[in-house]
Amino acid sequence: MEIPYEVTPRRDTGLYNAKLGVWLFLASEVMLFGGLFSAYVFLRLGVQDGVDNPWPWGVSVHKNFVWLGAINTVVLIASSVGVVFAWVSVKERKWRNYQLWMYFVVACAAVFMCIKMVEYNSKLNHHHGIKLVDNSVMEGVIIDDTDKIRFSGEKVTFGLHSALPAVLRDLDDGEFPVFKVIDGPEETIGTELASESAFKSWFHENRRTFKKNLAEARKRYRAELAEGATPAPIEVKGTATVEASAPFSLHGDPRKILAHSDTTMNYRDGVKIEGKLISDDVIFEVHEVDMQLVLPQDQRESVVWEVISDDSAKQSFFTQQSKNYQEMAAYYEKRGEVIPEKMIRGRFLNVYYVHVPAEGSEGGEGHGEESDKHAAVHTSETNPAAGATGGEGHHGPSRHLVVPREQVKFMGNHGPRYGNYYAIYFTMTALHGIHVVGGALVLLYMVVFGKKLYLKNPEHLANRVEVGGLFWHFVDLIWIFLFPLMYLL
Amino acid sequence: MAEVTHDFSKTKRTYAKVGIALGIFTIITVALGLFPPLDVGPPGPTPGDFLIGLSVATCKASLVALIFMHLNHERGLIYKLMLFTSILAFCLIVVTLFAGFDPIVEQYETLKTTGGWLLKLRPQ
Repeated sequence: MEIPYEVTPRRDTGLYNAKLGVWLFLASEVMLFGGLFSAYVFLRLGVQDGVDNPWPWGVSVHKNFVWLGAINTVVLIASSVGVVFAWVSVKERKWRNYQLWMYFVVACAAVFMCIKMVEYNSKLNHHHGIKLVDNSVMEGVIIDDTDKIRFSGEKVTFGLHSALPAVLRDLDDGEFPVFKVIDGPEETIGTELASESAFKSWFHENRRTFKKNLAEARKRYRAELAEGATPAPIEVKGTATVEASAPFSLHGDPRKILAHSDTTMNYRDGVKIEGKLISDDVIFEVHEVDMQLVLPQDQRESVVWEVISDDSAKQSFFTQQSKNYQEMAAYYEKRGEVIPEKMIRGRFLNVYYVHVPAEGSEGGEGHGEESDKHAAVHTSETNPAAGATGGEGHHGPSRHLVVPREQVKFMGNHGPRYGNYYAIYFTMTALHGIHVVGGALVLLYMVVFGKKLYLKNPEHLANRVEVGGLFWHFVDLIWIFLFPLMYLL
Repeated sequence: MAEVTHDFSKTKRTYAKVGIALGIFTIITVALGLFPPLDVGPPGPTPGDFLIGLSVATCKASLVALIFMHLNHERGLIYKLMLFTSILAFCLIVVTLFAGFDPIVEQYETLKTTGGWLLKLRPQ
């Protein structure tokens, strides 16, 4: 079937159909991204410094990412240039050039996505933050998964009416403990469950039995009630307890745990573990202290300094703050104005790099290879505060701080739930990334399978490249705005 | 196969120039963000910085739209379509600004006290 107006323009619109189609599509895309830019504006204007969720302002958050973002901008611009050159190549009937330019564009897209992955990986796996009870925030790295609660378990008590106990996923890798049923369905008491699969099949089987028995007991109860008698209460045992032959260690996910003490840990799904708490302290390497949420008069007595317990780090923070304060005061004094609260509570006066040197030998205290690795991560970062602390920008390894769990209000990686900024950052850049991948696939199709069309009707291929290119330029346009909004301003 | 009907060397030169211009604008954007002397107004990000940063981005966007997307010589229908879209997109952004109309916020603003504890920040 011949599709009309693929090459020649329609008389009423003056356009070939694909072009009108892609512009309509781009119009809908403008509305899609417009909605998200609108959300950005809303969140950004909604930030009340010191009152609300602080917006990570400017470069201190993105110390390592500005350059990645800038490289990505250049990569996308290069790819945009590539697309128009590919289009010209078809117009000039130079197939070879067309191929080269199109592959160049697709390669640019791949580079863009790789850089994006580096960025995402860094935010999700190498940047953590802890908000303490007085709302002071430490940014850095949580060492050795110590956000988890380390516990040595002996007995597990769980219900037979719901899903598999969540604790199974928190068991340390390696051996599954040999469990012995010490309480539960009578006929199974004493059973040994030596592997995870044995445990699971035992659990599912007894859950089925329990449900069947419960249904029968209810039936009996209702029947007795209907007869006018006083029915005997329903007694079907719905819980079980298993005991491990030897204590097993587990890393409890705090999000799944309701409460824990020195001897027990209660999961939200009703499972109770008895045993011994090994440690629930968070081991943290601090890189930056953020006081935006602490009133200026309380900052010197903040919990964060108790946790850091290093006077030189504290001193360097406030030295830098005074310096910046004077700069700001001078600016406003010249104008005969008072410094607005917004500025006092903002990032400029309240977020600084902080280095807590390791005690004694290199590598912290007893964390072995892990700590060396993290120390390397730290020292590779540039440190604008180095001048204030008298360092050269490259410090030695950082001390691993012990943060008591009761001082922690919130902790997490720099993923979407870390704050409004990260939520909108991930939403917009991920949606943009999907567009990059989609556009690159379309362009790749046009070059890999385009030869036949090129030989048949090169103008048709040129039109296809043009509309594919229109989409690609649109993706570039979005990034042109995303880059300054997310990375620089 | 249809023959080449047009000389594209001038077009190619234009595209290359626009590419270079976009690169230069990117350098300007990064410089504006990274170097404090280029900051407008008080230290830290301010509305002025936003205005300048977004103006540069708008220049880049216009170059891409006009030259690469051929909007400098396009049919009227597309202009009408884009006009319609821009009006809607503009409304979309503006509508969020109405979120600020809340008399309670005014109360909060008047409660702000800047005098007393400002002094405690001075170097000790």
